[in-house]
Amino acid sequence: METLKTISGYFATIGVAFTVGFLFMGFSRILTARVQNRVGPPIYQNLLDIIKLWSKESAINHGLMQHLGPAFAVTASVTTLLFIPVLRIGNWFQNFSFEGDLIFLLYIMVFGQLGMALGAGQTGNPNSAIGVSRGLSQVVGYEIPFVLALTALMVYHETTSLHEIMAAQDSIGAWNIFVNPFAFVAAIIAFLGMTHYTPFDVPFAPAELASGPPSEFGGKYLGMMMTSGSIFAFAKLTLFVNLFLGGASNLLELLAKTLALYLIPVIIGIVTPRYRTEQAIVFFWKWPTAFGILSILWVVWMR
Amino acid sequence: MDITGIPFFLAVSFGGAFLAYLLHFAHRFLRNAVALLTVSVSAALLFWLGDETFSIEMGGFILTLGKTPYSLFFAGIVALLAVPTVLFSFTYMAKEERPAMYYLNLLITIAAMYGILFSLDLLSLFIFWEIMTWSSFLLTIHKGGNATKAGVKYFLYSAAGAYAILFSIVILFNMSGSLLIEDVARSFVLQNPLMQLMLAGTLLFGFSVKAGLMPMHGWAPDAYAESPAPFTALFSGALSKMGIFGMGMVLYQIFLQSPFSLPVRELLAWAGGITSALATLRAIQQTDAKRLLAYSSVAQLGYIVIGLALGTPLSMMAALFIALLHGVFKAMLFFAVGAVYFRTGLTDLNELRGLIRRMPVSFLTVLMAIISLANIPPLGGFVGKWLLYESLIQSDHYFLVIVAFFSSTASFLYVYRLIFSIFLGQEEKEFEHVKEVPFLTMQLPMLALAAVTFITGIFPGIVLAPISSALTYLGFPIYHDMWSMSMLFNEWGNRINLLAMISVIGTVFLTGFTILSLYRMRRTRYVTTKDIHTSGEVPTENENLTYAINFYQPFERAVYPVLSKSIRAWIDWIGRSVSEFGDFLRHIYTGDGQTYAWYVVLFLTFMLAAGSWLL
Repeated sequence: METLKTISGYFATIGVAFTVGFLFMGFSRILTARVQNRVGPPIYQNLLDIIKLWSKESAINHGLMQHLGPAFAVTASVTTLLFIPVLRIGNWFQNFSFEGDLIFLLYIMVFGQLGMALGAGQTGNPNSAIGVSRGLSQVVGYEIPFVLALTALMVYHETTSLHEIMAAQDSIGAWNIFVNPFAFVAAIIAFLGMTHYTPFDVPFAPAELASGPPSEFGGKYLGMMMTSGSIFAFAKLTLFVNLFLGGASNLLELLAKTLALYLIPVIIGIVTPRYRTEQAIVFFWKWPTAFGILSILWVVWMR
Repeated sequence: MDITGIPFFLAVSFGGAFLAYLLHFAHRFLRNAVALLTVSVSAALLFWLGDETFSIEMGGFILTLGKTPYSLFFAGIVALLAVPTVLFSFTYMAKEERPAMYYLNLLITIAAMYGILFSLDLLSLFIFWEIMTWSSFLLTIHKGGNATKAGVKYFLYSAAGAYAILFSIVILFNMSGSLLIEDVARSFVLQNPLMQLMLAGTLLFGFSVKAGLMPMHGWAPDAYAESPAPFTALFSGALSKMGIFGMGMVLYQIFLQSPFSLPVRELLAWAGGITSALATLRAIQQTDAKRLLAYSSVAQLGYIVIGLALGTPLSMMAALFIALLHGVFKAMLFFAVGAVYFRTGLTDLNELRGLIRRMPVSFLTVLMAIISLANIPPLGGFVGKWLLYESLIQSDHYFLVIVAFFSSTASFLYVYRLIFSIFLGQEEKEFEHVKEVPFLTMQLPMLALAAVTFITGIFPGIVLAPISSALTYLGFPIYHDMWSMSMLFNEWGNRINLLAMISVIGTVFLTGFTILSLYRMRRTRYVTTKDIHTSGEVPTENENLTYAINFYQPFERAVYPVLSKSIRAWIDWIGRSVSEFGDFLRHIYTGDGQTYAWYVVLFLTFMLAAGSWLL
């Protein structure tokens, strides 16, 4: 009975993540449309897209590695999700969050990107390869401020566990966004890079690269990737809520906080043009990195 | 002779080398059998080595051999890599010239490494050190041509290091009257601190040459790129670790009590960090697979030095764990690149492409190795880096953690370049005939090492047990709450459960893979890499659709303007100074006989004047 409950908990988490993920994406499509003076698709459009892709009659692939690419992606998103505590308190939605820590999450998050890059590589499409080259370069850009911010938090709270970081914010009575605003600025700019909205969408650059790495994926492969993308978006947002906004004690609170965070890249993305890769890297290594260094100095001074 | 003794062990290792050489002239199968037997028997003997020490008097010096838990761990690395290396050499070297010399030098190198590890005094350590340098030098120049240049470079660097070591050994012997490392350590603390600093400095310099720490890394890219691939695996995987072994010995057995110990270690940690960052950036620029891996080796050794220099129990665990794992996955990579070279004759990343369906096992090997190298769970590489980052954060090295993390993330770039250019991308006609390498002698060593990365990723306790006893010997208390078979803990008490990790990753991956494979299985079809989306244009048969040259151009645009300017400025400055010095010399050595005659006259006049004034 206990096992059954645990296992249904995993599925519930994945279900919630998937639903919230595709609804947020639909919401951002509406928002973008309104800014561009269009009506936009219904909010559940992404779900329709995924259902359509899964019901495609045939699928083509260029070999085993491409076949495995989406499986790698879904592995990374679901594993990330299951190792993040979705709620601060209670027994539900905790899953495996006591078995891993932040450094593990940092690395499992790139597992999917590498798998996708390998899958895209086998297709032989030059656009995919160019996209991968740009995407990996951009990762090196935003990981620096992101890790600086995380280091500041880990050092300040003397823990690498998400549970303890949330508990510490609770006991101090202030969220990390107020305790260490520099870290938040550094991390949120890195988050812009992670979400691949403009100005950091050059790896996928729709009009230029024919959407880059995923361009050879269709049917069930693209369906799997979009499913995994929805889950991953939610997992990343929850991670940021846990780190900076004190976590959430129920799903409604979580929804409000994740939506607030999600609006930041979307709103910035609507009104900005695209950075070239080298501009993006240099940008990441200038401002957010400076804030990241400040956040660590701030922690050293505060201790 | 006692078969659990170290003399017997070394006799087997060295004797096997000469026997294999002699048997080459009888039949090559005999030679191969003896070579494989030698490394396997010595690997097996490691388990039964007795605790007693052995001394021989030689020319008034007493040479002492014995094992310590610390040296036994490194001997394990050597043994783990020596067997696959010899096995891989069988088919690979069949095409190359002078195989007898190759096997002789290879087995002597392996034996000399064991000798270094089991030396309890500095003199025998030095003797084996020189044997190792010589035999590995001969292996480096095995191919001739460019390899000779690379070999000479390697030898010059090694000679500088060896003289530094010898210099310190002589002074240490004068100080303590004994060559035993224990005695030397005891009298070392009585010296004045500056003397201690100088001796530790020269010793560390000497050992760090073999580890390829910047700025003593100049030999490494050339030597790794030019030596035969199976030996390169051992060269980068095990031989460079001898430098790490020596540095650990100096830092924690001899130098630890000195007032300069902490600043020197801090400096060393930063040297390691800078080495890993700069070498990673260089690796991204390379277009030759072996040179890329060579720079990557330098970078990985940088991590090991960081862990070794920090000197917390967790960081030492990290250093030794990475030392083993780097040996394993770098050997896999050099084997796989060697396998590709064996079949295609190429190591140029701009020319190779699309071999995945021709050489699937080599692809799998490279895939496992790069996942390990990029520290991505669930393979062994992740465990080492996890320990390293936790120890860096907990010992308040916040900026060093960023440097380490930067090079670790940037390493994704070159590992992807490596696997993409060789195995992925467009499949070309010119590689259609390429076959996978033979199973027993080439695939098996690669797959066996791949299994090691997998097992150590789930059960790192297998490796952490010998590491704990090695560290306890060096004076680091390793408590049982720091690790268990598949769980790791940091100093703040946070943990990671690797068994839970692998079950989640494994289950999700298998589910995803099953869904993708079974769902509409019959309606999923394979198409060639020419059949792709090209925005309406139909590519012709001979159209080049490969994106390989200047793969990371955007990244290079961002990074290298800063980097190349400063480095080039230095090189230009050195070049200008040399040529200005040459110009100055040209005023003296004019090439004109008249001027030289004048010098002689001037010299004689000066001598006469000086003589008459002095007398």
